[in-house]
Amino acid sequence: MKLLRDVFIAGVGETPFRRHKADFDVLGRMAALEALRQSNIDRPQMIQSAYVGNATNGTVVGQTILKQLGMCGHMPIINVESACSAGGMAVHCAVKDVSTGLVDLALAVGAENHSLYMQRGTAFAPAMSDIETMHGAVMTGKYALRAKRYMHETGATVEDLAMITVKNRRHAKHNPNAWFKGDISIEEVVNSRLVADPLTLQQCCGIADGAGAVVVGSREMMDKLGIAQPIRVRGSVVQSGPYHNQPRDITGDDITESCSAALYELSGIGPKEVDIIELHDAFTIAELLYYECMGLCGKGEGLQFLRDGQSTYGGQCVVSPRGGMLSYGHPIGASGVAQVAACVKQLRNQCDGYQVEPVPRVAMTHVTGGGLSGTEHAACSMHMLSRD
Amino acid sequence: MSDEKKPAKQPKEDADITFYHPELLEVPEDGSPPFLKGYRCMGCGQLDFPKLSTCPTCWGEQFDMVPLSRRGKLYSVTDIYIGQAGMETPYIFGYIDLPEDLRIFAQLEGEPQSYQCDEEVELTVGTIRINRDGLPITSYKFSKLVPA
Ligand SMILES: [Zn+2]
Repeated sequence: MKLLRDVFIAGVGETPFRRHKADFDVLGRMAALEALRQSNIDRPQMIQSAYVGNATNGTVVGQTILKQLGMCGHMPIINVESACSAGGMAVHCAVKDVSTGLVDLALAVGAENHSLYMQRGTAFAPAMSDIETMHGAVMTGKYALRAKRYMHETGATVEDLAMITVKNRRHAKHNPNAWFKGDISIEEVVNSRLVADPLTLQQCCGIADGAGAVVVGSREMMDKLGIAQPIRVRGSVVQSGPYHNQPRDITGDDITESCSAALYELSGIGPKEVDIIELHDAFTIAELLYYECMGLCGKGEGLQFLRDGQSTYGGQCVVSPRGGMLSYGHPIGASGVAQVAACVKQLRNQCDGYQVEPVPRVAMTHVTGGGLSGTEHAACSMHMLSRD
Repeated sequence: MSDEKKPAKQPKEDADITFYHPELLEVPEDGSPPFLKGYRCMGCGQLDFPKLSTCPTCWGEQFDMVPLSRRGKLYSVTDIYIGQAGMETPYIFGYIDLPEDLRIFAQLEGEPQSYQCDEEVELTVGTIRINRDGLPITSYKFSKLVPA
């Protein structure tokens, strides 16, 4: 999507990610209120449209979240669903509203509570109407198939995969909103409970609850609100996954590759210029594959990129500086918005104890969504943000 | 408000399926080997599995059934230890690439750790899950090659 005028982020909010007794609407309100206050917005009528990402908590989630904030009545609230990509898609919709001039100030929220609704000790599966689900598919297993093939083709080991968890948990060590964080050894990751061979428990994101929120607006609105450090949205891309039942290379990812290419072209920013990325590291293998899919390195070079420290502090691009989903857990409708919120804080030098140095200039976010047979993912939402 | 009451017992039509699914899998009554059913679009010739209501390429709605190869190459495989709610673990699934340039997602018969990427596997029939009534659902699976 070509941005018809400049769009900026005024403020962001996020709750801690973990298991919450508070339901999705309470979490969503917490994040929204933080983003609104940070944007110097003092009355609900200033927001002109809202998009709310959620995947599993039922109908009219947006209105449920926002009615107590006085935001029902004067503006459209549109609920957005595409499994794990819902939050990223909500941000995209808000950006689109401002970019086209339809509104000057829009709100995107992503909120999800799984733990109040889900049976413990079971794995996420796509809808039962899907042929692969009928045959026992679970998301962990589908990523395990990617890992198995990658290991078969490259000689990577489970210890290599475990390095991703070790790195991301280390990044999250001092992040108050991250859930699983701090020092963990490769051995602890490898020896944790086997979920779907070769993925062990510590290589899978936790099933968490949480919310994120982002306020986007025009340049004039940033001035009017007195935003000291507006963050510019350089590009926003949503795609749907190509559908076919023929063999495909699952050590690549067709939708992430085409979405990245579109975002680079749209923003005029190339992969080597991106300083930090929050990507869909729901499982260790995913982050490794996405280094290649996003062009951070060449095809087949992901493992070397990781081993060389290119995806951590001091490297070419710090991947998952907030700790990623492997530290936050993954409330599926919330993650895409929370990624944007985390990147904005990094660009603003507000990450006390886990700030990337030097302060990054360019950040990218990426969430895929949906196990749909015949596609690698049903959806992908990506954003490019910059300080200037 | 209607005075009609619901019958105490569920009518038989509500029984869950025990075979998945006749338009995907043929198990001949004469004992000859089972096979998967591919569908070739009569409009553009695209071959697909599973059967689609419309051809995504030309929107054709008429198809010729094509029996698919019973052997394929295991592209990737995993053993599942935490599975779907209600499914007994461990179970094995993978992607099987058929010579017809189609990829099939299916469970595999046998013990965990017994399959490798790129191994030849063969179509078989077995239980894929238990239905809502507690009965096994039969469908296609793949297994090690049966020695000739
Ligand atoms: Zn056709």
